[in-house]
Amino acid sequence: MASVASPSFPDYSTQAPTQHMFSPYADNGGSVVAIAGDDFVIIGADTRLSAGFSIYTREQNKLFRLTDNTVLGCAGCWCDTLTLTRILKARMQMYEQEHNKTMSTTAAAQMLSTMLYYKRFFPYYISNILVGLDTEGKGCVYSYDPIGHCERASYRAGGSAGALLQPLLDNQIGLKNMQNVTNKTVSLDRALAVVKDVFISAAERDIYTGDKIMIMVITKNGIKEDSFDLRKD
Amino acid sequence: MSILSYNGSAMVAMKGKNCVAIATDKRFGIQAQTISMDFPKVFQMGPHLFIGLPGLATDTQTVMEKLRFRKNLYELKENRHITPTVFASLVSNMLYEKRFGPFFVEPVIAGLDSKTGEPFVCNMDLIGCPNAPEDFVVGGTASAQLYGMCESLWEPDLGPDDLFETISQALINAFDRDAISGWGATVYIIEKDKITTKELKTRMD
Amino acid sequence: MFLTRSEYDRGVNTFSPEGRLFQVEYAIEAIKLGSTAIGICTSEGVVLAVEKRITSPLMESTTIEKIVEVDKHIGCAVSGLMADSRTMIDRARVECQNHWFVYNESMSVESCAQAVSNLAIQFGDSDDDGAAMSRPFGVAILFAGIDEKGPQLYHMDPSGTFVEFDAKAIGSGSEGAQQSLQEMYHRSMTLSEATTAALTILKQVMEEKLNSSNVEVMTMTPTNFFHMFPKEQVEEVITTIT
Repeated sequence: MASVASPSFPDYSTQAPTQHMFSPYADNGGSVVAIAGDDFVIIGADTRLSAGFSIYTREQNKLFRLTDNTVLGCAGCWCDTLTLTRILKARMQMYEQEHNKTMSTTAAAQMLSTMLYYKRFFPYYISNILVGLDTEGKGCVYSYDPIGHCERASYRAGGSAGALLQPLLDNQIGLKNMQNVTNKTVSLDRALAVVKDVFISAAERDIYTGDKIMIMVITKNGIKEDSFDLRKD
Repeated sequence: MSILSYNGSAMVAMKGKNCVAIATDKRFGIQAQTISMDFPKVFQMGPHLFIGLPGLATDTQTVMEKLRFRKNLYELKENRHITPTVFASLVSNMLYEKRFGPFFVEPVIAGLDSKTGEPFVCNMDLIGCPNAPEDFVVGGTASAQLYGMCESLWEPDLGPDDLFETISQALINAFDRDAISGWGATVYIIEKDKITTKELKTRMD
Repeated sequence: MFLTRSEYDRGVNTFSPEGRLFQVEYAIEAIKLGSTAIGICTSEGVVLAVEKRITSPLMESTTIEKIVEVDKHIGCAVSGLMADSRTMIDRARVECQNHWFVYNESMSVESCAQAVSNLAIQFGDSDDDGAAMSRPFGVAILFAGIDEKGPQLYHMDPSGTFVEFDAKAIGSGSEGAQQSLQEMYHRSMTLSEATTAALTILKQVMEEKLNSSNVEVMTMTPTNFFHMFPKEQVEEVITTIT
């Protein structure tokens, strides 16, 4: 909106201070869910990229393969995601060449934390969830806040529908508030079914989540990709 | 932070087959500090009618008193119990009267129609925009978590026992992921011939 | 070598017409004046043994530190200019801690050697390129460490060249000691055999009589990592050698 005090109306100019706004962030939405098992880990992310009430695309992959057994899922400000993942890729390659080995999931997890913290006062506005197999072949999930707080968990939901989905995972995977249940570990089929179910729920109530989910299943045999349609409205 | 999340609350109502349920947490706090763990937020307004008032605790109590007054007046004038649909309109109109200086409550109403026994759930925003869906309604600071839970757990035509289990799991798991609600829960199962009140033990942190 | 001395031996970053960097070669010569240090790598772990030159009976021998811990899993023995070695060890320690900070894992021995090598070649006489030193470091280092590849021994000279060894000697007695190592070393050596061998060889090449206060011994094992022998333990080993 053109203000009457703008340079086009010099007669109306005042001595009053002008406020300038700088808002360098966009929220492009998206949700990520990850579940770890004894010898596998799965991660899913929806493929809707949006801003406000408009949808940029219905097929944006938000999962990034870092190594043969490490995958990063990102939701939030897409331009920050693009920059972060490119720098990550470069850092992974430099590590590989300097140390003559592929970075382990735990090393990548720690590196991501430090990379995020190094931008403590101008953060990457991203909800990151990093998954992979650790050195013993066990599935692991690391979740982050935008400034590098890192926590290892066995399941996690993040992004725009994170608040909707996390209690559901607590209940269905963490078996929270259940009586007379033995804490048996989750199977791959069950984890896959839960991921699909929770995304269907998220797509019902969160306008920034929908269209499709991309799923990656990481086992000792490598990464398998899968996708699943969600509602598109 | 919004004044609606000054005290913290979690509330949900669900339809079942010939029954309806409403559940609430019991916390009363001032921001992060918990003051009480036995604070009523759901009130009976008729033989088969309950209203929950999540939001600013002072307005919870004021609105409850004002509604009770208007409901009693209705009953005296009309000489009959108020139906859930009529009560919802009453609440909606009363809130809209304060369109530009609202009460900071987002009501959740659950009841059975006194004649047909038809289940009814309804919620509103703080200025009284009503919403009466076919499945469930939520309110309070844990509403995002409740939407996620309910959207997965709820299914049509639940009997009273299954409805109790569903609404309890939905509420408890939702408010466990909300820092300013929880600390115990109360569930009301409303059936044609009986009302069951159950107190739930939950984690208190 | 000294026959070809010319103007070219002054600049540290000027090649001679024969393609040599004299200052670097001189630095390599300099470390041959240093005290002898021996490292032996076995499947059970690595042992480092060094001689300490006690130049005066009034000297407090324990203040001479030629074997130091870089990280829990890497130790090193140095020979040459001790002051220079401090700078390099500092860098090694910083790099190890930084690696742990960024990656939450211990640095590999090779990477640690590489990091120190990067420092070793940062010499030059210009002011603007941020050179760490105006001349090459006069230090040779033996790195003993444990990583995912198991026990390893690396040697680095003043030119920054680093190579993995089964057994290596540096310092004034290195030529004789290296010869003896070649004869003694075999793949199935135990760590205690290696310790004895290291001290035996050290005894042969040292000018003074070997005793528990003029040698330092350290073992690096997968279970105990950096372990510096206390005086009594050194004496125990000395009694076993004739």
